[in-house]
Amino acid sequence: MKDTMRFVARATSRMAHVSLWAAGLGLISMTALIAAQVVWRYVLNDSIVWTEPASVMIMGWFIFLGAAVGIREGYHLSFDVILYMIPQKAKLVLHSISDLTVAGFGVGMIWFGWQLAEKTASNKLPSLGISGAFDFVPIVVGGFLVFIFSVERVARRAAGLGTARFGDDPVED
Amino acid sequence: MELYVLFGTFVFLLLIGTPVAFCLGVSSFATIAYLGLPPVVVFQRLNSGVSVFALMAIPFFIFAGDLMVRGDIARRLVALAGAFVGHLRGGLGQVNVLSSVMFGGVSGSAAADASAVGGLMVPQMVERGYEPEYAVNITVVSSIIALLLPPSHNMIIYSIAAGGRISIADLFTAGIIPGFLLALVLMITAWWVAKRKGYPVQPFQGYRMIGTLFMSAAPGLILVAIIFGGVRSGIFTASESSNIAVVYALLVTFFVYRSLSWNDFVQATFAAVRTTAMVLMVIGCAASFGWLLAYTKVPASMVDLLKGLSDNPIVILLLLNLVLLMLGTFMDMSPLIVITTPIFLPVAMAFGVDPVHFGVILILNLGIGLCTPPVGAVLFVGCAVGRIPVWDAVRTIWPFYGAAFAVLLLVTYIPALSLWLPSLFR
Amino acid sequence: EVTLRSSDTHPDGYPTVAAVNAMGDMIKERSGDRLCIEVFHSAQLGEEKDTIEQTQFGVIDMNRVSLGPFNNIIEETQIPSLPYIFRSVEHMHKVMDGPVGQQILDAFSDHDLVGLAFYDGGSRSFYNSEKPINSMADLAGMKFRVMQSDMFVDMVSALGANATPMPYGEVYSSIQTGVIDGAENNWPSYDSSGHFEVAKYYTLDQHLIVPEVLVMSKSSFDKLSAEDQALVRQAAKDSVPIMRDLWQAREKESEARVREAGVEIVTDIDKTPFIEAMVPVYEKYVTSDTLKQMVADIQATK
Ligand code: NA
Ligand code: NA
Repeated sequence: MKDTMRFVARATSRMAHVSLWAAGLGLISMTALIAAQVVWRYVLNDSIVWTEPASVMIMGWFIFLGAAVGIREGYHLSFDVILYMIPQKAKLVLHSISDLTVAGFGVGMIWFGWQLAEKTASNKLPSLGISGAFDFVPIVVGGFLVFIFSVERVARRAAGLGTARFGDDPVED
Repeated sequence: MELYVLFGTFVFLLLIGTPVAFCLGVSSFATIAYLGLPPVVVFQRLNSGVSVFALMAIPFFIFAGDLMVRGDIARRLVALAGAFVGHLRGGLGQVNVLSSVMFGGVSGSAAADASAVGGLMVPQMVERGYEPEYAVNITVVSSIIALLLPPSHNMIIYSIAAGGRISIADLFTAGIIPGFLLALVLMITAWWVAKRKGYPVQPFQGYRMIGTLFMSAAPGLILVAIIFGGVRSGIFTASESSNIAVVYALLVTFFVYRSLSWNDFVQATFAAVRTTAMVLMVIGCAASFGWLLAYTKVPASMVDLLKGLSDNPIVILLLLNLVLLMLGTFMDMSPLIVITTPIFLPVAMAFGVDPVHFGVILILNLGIGLCTPPVGAVLFVGCAVGRIPVWDAVRTIWPFYGAAFAVLLLVTYIPALSLWLPSLFR
Repeated sequence: EVTLRSSDTHPDGYPTVAAVNAMGDMIKERSGDRLCIEVFHSAQLGEEKDTIEQTQFGVIDMNRVSLGPFNNIIEETQIPSLPYIFRSVEHMHKVMDGPVGQQILDAFSDHDLVGLAFYDGGSRSFYNSEKPINSMADLAGMKFRVMQSDMFVDMVSALGANATPMPYGEVYSSIQTGVIDGAENNWPSYDSSGHFEVAKYYTLDQHLIVPEVLVMSKSSFDKLSAEDQALVRQAAKDSVPIMRDLWQAREKESEARVREAGVEIVTDIDKTPFIEAMVPVYEKYVTSDTLKQMVADIQATK
């Protein structure tokens, strides 16, 4: 079981890494787009109309990717005061309930994100000219990763391996 | 009944240690299901809650802050602060506050301030015989200064939440005097606590040293002028100024200081992504939560409740502050701004409070909430950099809470502290 | 008893909010307290794009929205959003009360919505902080904030100015500091946003006279009995004259306040060159035969 989970961790670690890089590139390109918007308007006296919606869309990508990676690396804010006071065994049970709840939310992000994408697929996004469904792709992809990474945490715990919490270093094995 | 489902699920998940964002999201989901409405609205609110252009200031200011930490800008600011006030009683406590003033002048994030100043100061302070709790306490509470001094993306969030009629430039200007006032009061408190505990004093480094350190920190300080001047002269908007901060921090650290390696740059980017994703996920899920509050008419009942309690503006403001402080202890800042502004601003305005003034009260109040358990992002960051349990920090933080609360009362009841400076620019 | 939840982005007391409240009083009385309406004003439930989706999914029952967000969803709604399509507010009323208006209302039914009625949205004109605009030449190179809509961007470009999409909340300080030169809106918004304090030149070119629409969720509508459906439709129609009166009063009030503040207003302007400049915009957006026929019908309406 432990070996299986270590093997799984190599795959999910790769997924997390790719997501983080994609999110980082998103942040850099947002920086470039808005800087260009300022330069074009102030220096060239001409306005680019698509930088704003484009960077808002990129922001959606990096938030949902980053939030998903945060589950694996355990960097989401949580409130652990009660957890300090109860026995280790009970703590692990509560952690697993919590992770399964988050996994369920991930499923919701996929399911309902998809519904929204379907409903808006025939709309056209202003200034970008692409389908309205693109608005909801990040939440669907992010939901998928949220689900995978949460389930991984439960499985690791079942196998007796550690999972990261806020303030800990990320688990890498 | 639906409010019991909403708050019951939220509190239950919070207590078992579910990340705050998901506590908000899942409790909204449960309530929507209970009401028999299509759950799709939860995810729609989540998605549109984070698809707001003005929110982009958050990743940018956080990114700029990370670049300044890794690219040596923050360290030089702290060194300069040390030369100014390091020789006072409890000197490093004072340095900590002054560093927050300097760093806060270029960043709007209390969490970034706590990690930047705390990361540099706490180890030094512990090494020189200060208790880690004291070091963390002063780091945490003084980082509220970063929220008040411009630039402050939380002021932008407030302006947006208020429907956009409030000038962001006015809000930026309004926070300056309260920010310095808070710094002053905290320095006095730090001095008083340090004296009681008998903390050591450092020798004065001399005026020549101040000059040298000033020159070395100057590029960081110039950012303040660039951001403020750029917004005031119409080169960029207030939310675009966050982007300029990133570009400027990159230019200074890559080309002037040559202190930012490729690896530093990658790590700063990842750090910004992590922090921002966490914060904005909370804001997105809070949008669902806030939607349910509106749907179940919580704001309207709140206004009626407060109006029924008193018709005296002094009492109402005190009540508003107490309610906000209470909310602030269990929720994070940006979602609270988004949720409470539409509820409380109309009440405050009905009692003759200027919206710019109310913005400063709100930011300071919720800033204090960032330092209080159970959900205090800045407190968590401070404890993480100081490597002490949250409980240890909270046991000894009271003098600093007291100081911050005193400033909150002053800012609340003396509108001129907030409104005089912006009036000069009109 | 059934409560219909209705969304509006405007504050309490605004003509649109007051009209839907008046409609609520009507159906409450006519149904013998069986039906009522609760208006969630001030965008409490979200911005227009979001509340439209919520209405489509049946999360909320009714929605008062502008036509802009529908332009990329329902092509018929583009027609009344075309620049200079209506000669005057009276012309717009005639068209929207007639067959073209009904045609647009019917188009909502393919999108899980029921179109109930059109409300007034006023006429939008340009204001700026630089100079009075008397001709197209005055507009050349100026930066105007517009809503994030392709048609409005194209309209401003066709007039020779720079369209600068920007969140509404940043417009005031952006005009004040000079990031942009101006924006465009109707009397009440020009007044309530305070933009007249910083942009003191208002030119009544009335480039957009776009009505707003009251829609209902199809799933909520289908839950009502045939009798109640008729009752809702009739009450919506009956709320229109109330709304128009409220709107006119509001417009007068705002105009008086703005004039009082010493704003320079250009009223007599030759619109012909402005209208001629719109030919490429019409070519781009009026594509299908249905749309061309609608434009022809509107122009033929006297
Ligand atoms: Na700041
Ligand atoms: Na808190």
